[in-house]
Amino acid sequence: MSEVIVVTSGKGGVGKTTTTANVGTGLAQLNKKVVLIDTDIGLRNLDVVMGLENRIVYNLVDVVEGNCRIKQALIKDKKYPNLFLLPSAQTRDKTSVNPEQMKKLVDELREEFDYILLDCPAGIEQGFQNAIAGADRALIVTTPEVSAIRDADRIIGLLEAHEIKKVELIVNRLRMDMVKRGDMMSIEDVQEILAIDLIGAVPDDEQIVISTNQGEPLVGSHDSLAGQAYENICHRILGEEVPLLDLESKGGVWTKFVGLFKKN
Amino acid sequence: MSQPVILKSNRYGINLILDEDMPFEQLEEAILDKFRESEKFFKNASIAISFEGRALSREEELSILDLIAKNTSIHVICVVDQDEMREQLYKEKIDNYYQNVADNTGEFYKGTLRSGQVLKCDTSIVIIGDVNPGAKIIAKGNIVILGSLKGNAYAGAAGDETCFVTALDMDPVQIKIGNVIGRSADRGPWESIRNRKRTMDPQIALVSDGNILIEPITKGLLNSI
Repeated sequence: MSEVIVVTSGKGGVGKTTTTANVGTGLAQLNKKVVLIDTDIGLRNLDVVMGLENRIVYNLVDVVEGNCRIKQALIKDKKYPNLFLLPSAQTRDKTSVNPEQMKKLVDELREEFDYILLDCPAGIEQGFQNAIAGADRALIVTTPEVSAIRDADRIIGLLEAHEIKKVELIVNRLRMDMVKRGDMMSIEDVQEILAIDLIGAVPDDEQIVISTNQGEPLVGSHDSLAGQAYENICHRILGEEVPLLDLESKGGVWTKFVGLFKKN
Repeated sequence: MSQPVILKSNRYGINLILDEDMPFEQLEEAILDKFRESEKFFKNASIAISFEGRALSREEELSILDLIAKNTSIHVICVVDQDEMREQLYKEKIDNYYQNVADNTGEFYKGTLRSGQVLKCDTSIVIIGDVNPGAKIIAKGNIVILGSLKGNAYAGAAGDETCFVTALDMDPVQIKIGNVIGRSADRGPWESIRNRKRTMDPQIALVSDGNILIEPITKGLLNSI
């Protein structure tokens, strides 16, 4: 059974693309057949974060307009043969595709893949409408800032109106030191406002910046708390019960323990 | 007179101008025709009515009202006498009628109202859930929120300043009752999150001396509403 998941936030710059790249790669590591679709037409960057920019020949708009077959536009990942990317077009805009076409495209991909992840553009205009058209499930990415949360709240309302029932929350870029000082909202604060299920919390981690720049998602990396957090989110997407990471042990005992375990 | 019956409408109802000389039975036929023509326009409307141009007996008046009730979906709330036929009077009657409706009946809404969502209601409303910042409720009657009010609420939207807003957790951006607006204190959004109460503290917002007053709900206060 395949599932179509849209990664969305309303506000820009909160980590939708990074989340899509890491969750997609993480699901592929768990032996699922996964395709990532960049729906941000005109401002594509999922291909950059995945390190696949140099392999693009055809894109989403080419597929929709019938210039190529879906298979021709899908790019196989460098590391995982069961992970694919359908890149967005850079020279077009959001109106090049409509929600019906997206739904048809996604339904075709359902036959082939276990998970279809849609990286949604910021905003609530046509790009957003396109991205959610065929989705069964949504991951809402927000940072613990009031502006991001206000936008996430609006997005959740719109998703509910579109009858997307499974809507889960990722709180990104948490800084536990600031939460402790009372200068940043805690996970509980965010959850109380948005009132939806939490599927993961990702700490602010400079490793993410490094991995993004290198075009290598760091999910599953045991040197990084963010990498572990993304791995846990993937397990939870599969329906497994995984306790929340202790975000305060910054590369502490637990990491070393896992490191030992790996060697054996 | 070219037409035996002329139907004039104003904001609150209709004015029937009747031929003075035509036999009553014939006149009734003409009235019926007139209403059938405009049936779509007046569909299910609640209006006030007045008669002009002809002195009607009590029986004749009742007969015409009966005709309207039987043959159309118009709901006549009152008949306004020719002598004091004033739009003002119509307005009072109609507003009172709607006010009674707003006071005595209400609707339920279950779920969280999120940013960008607007809920409008012609009566009073009970919301089971939170009203988040950026969301708005507009009701002609009272607003009762079984949850947090963190957005905007507008009670007595028809202008009634005796309406109220209650919430289990009262932290609104703005409350408007009738024509009176109250806004939250000038503090950042973070402040209200950090200082939020962990316990429910039901409060009520009322108009007092032209200002919005928010205070805890007490038994005495409820009795005085």
